[in-house]
Amino acid sequence: MLFERLNLLVNSGQCLAVTGANGSGKSTLLKMIAGLVHPTTGTIHVLGDGRQLDIEERIACIGLVSPEIVFYADMTGVENILFLTRVRGLTCSLEQVEEFCQIVGLVVYKDNLVHTYSTGMRQRLKFAVMLALQPLLWLLDEPSSNLDADGKILVAKMIDNALTERKTVIIATNEPWEVEYADYKIELA
Amino acid sequence: MPTTRLNLLNGLWAVLVKDSLCEFRTCYALSALFMFALISLTSISMSIGVVSLPAQLTAALLWIILFFCAMSGLSRVFVQEQESGSIVVLRIYASGQAVIFGKLLFNVIMLFGLTFFVIPLFTMFLNVDIYRWPMFIMILFLGDIGIAATATITAALVAKTQGKSALFTVLTFPILLPQFLSSIGATTKILADSQPDMSEIMFMAAYNVAIIIASSILFDYIWYD
Repeated sequence: MLFERLNLLVNSGQCLAVTGANGSGKSTLLKMIAGLVHPTTGTIHVLGDGRQLDIEERIACIGLVSPEIVFYADMTGVENILFLTRVRGLTCSLEQVEEFCQIVGLVVYKDNLVHTYSTGMRQRLKFAVMLALQPLLWLLDEPSSNLDADGKILVAKMIDNALTERKTVIIATNEPWEVEYADYKIELA
Repeated sequence: MPTTRLNLLNGLWAVLVKDSLCEFRTCYALSALFMFALISLTSISMSIGVVSLPAQLTAALLWIILFFCAMSGLSRVFVQEQESGSIVVLRIYASGQAVIFGKLLFNVIMLFGLTFFVIPLFTMFLNVDIYRWPMFIMILFLGDIGIAATATITAALVAKTQGKSALFTVLTFPILLPQFLSSIGATTKILADSQPDMSEIMFMAAYNVAIIIASSILFDYIWYD
């Protein structure tokens, strides 16, 4: 049994921090919320317009930053962002994508193939995708991992902006400064 | 929180363009398909020399070449995503139906391209005369769609398993067998300069529709569960 008696409601504009030792199930909890893993018992409801969303509606409102997100290595950063926005049914101009790359500090490398990116650059690209998709529910699994000091400032700014825009943010982390954003905290044993 | 739904056509088109772009840059599946076709055609041609084969054997050889070419390359649409880890991105951001139909369309286009490459070589190397081209093209069209549709759903099924390649062929062949036999039967008649029965053509078309609908229903279980 990974989770027991875990019962919580997180509203728009609120932040939940999930902490715990390695292997305690932080990432698994985020994957369950995203619909990538199904709980053996219990339920996770993602609500919108006052009702429970079905799987396709849930997908359409979720954005995930996680080590498990792997981009297409044979496509450029810009192509990856454009693909993910189009597959979501959103429209995003090239200028907008360039602006997102500028914000996350990837503008110089935006037209390079992703297989040439460092792990830190790939992490920044995940945040550029979040900017392009503007999901209502942000699931951040170790969001500042592999990032330098500038990158950590970027993450802090993005979490701040998301909460200001009434997005729901769930962070799986053990970084004290990321936990400070949380309205609620869960520590998994 | 306001809700939105994923748009099937936009998603399908995005998946198709993405797969084409990645394939164009790497040529993994393309080279596997075309090299297999070239090698098998050359081997058959060299082994039979200038002898003309009976129509039934010629038709069977054509569909065996197309089938095994498909088996060598079409599974990559899902296997590649699984092996590289990018399947998580698709599962998070794309609708299941857009993924299956986008990848199906990509496989259909690949197989049409392969057929377009194989047929001239086949007629040349095996000294085959085809008198009823429109009907022949229709049979190829229906047969290719059947192979691509079956290969796409079985590729999705085997993507997470060990021993993908063996399992892919073993699973695809029995599902495709009725369509495969009809294709060989109809092609045999065309090569013998007679008209295939309308019932054969109707069966092939109906089989494709059934496989595509079944794939669409089954895929949501594979994708979300």
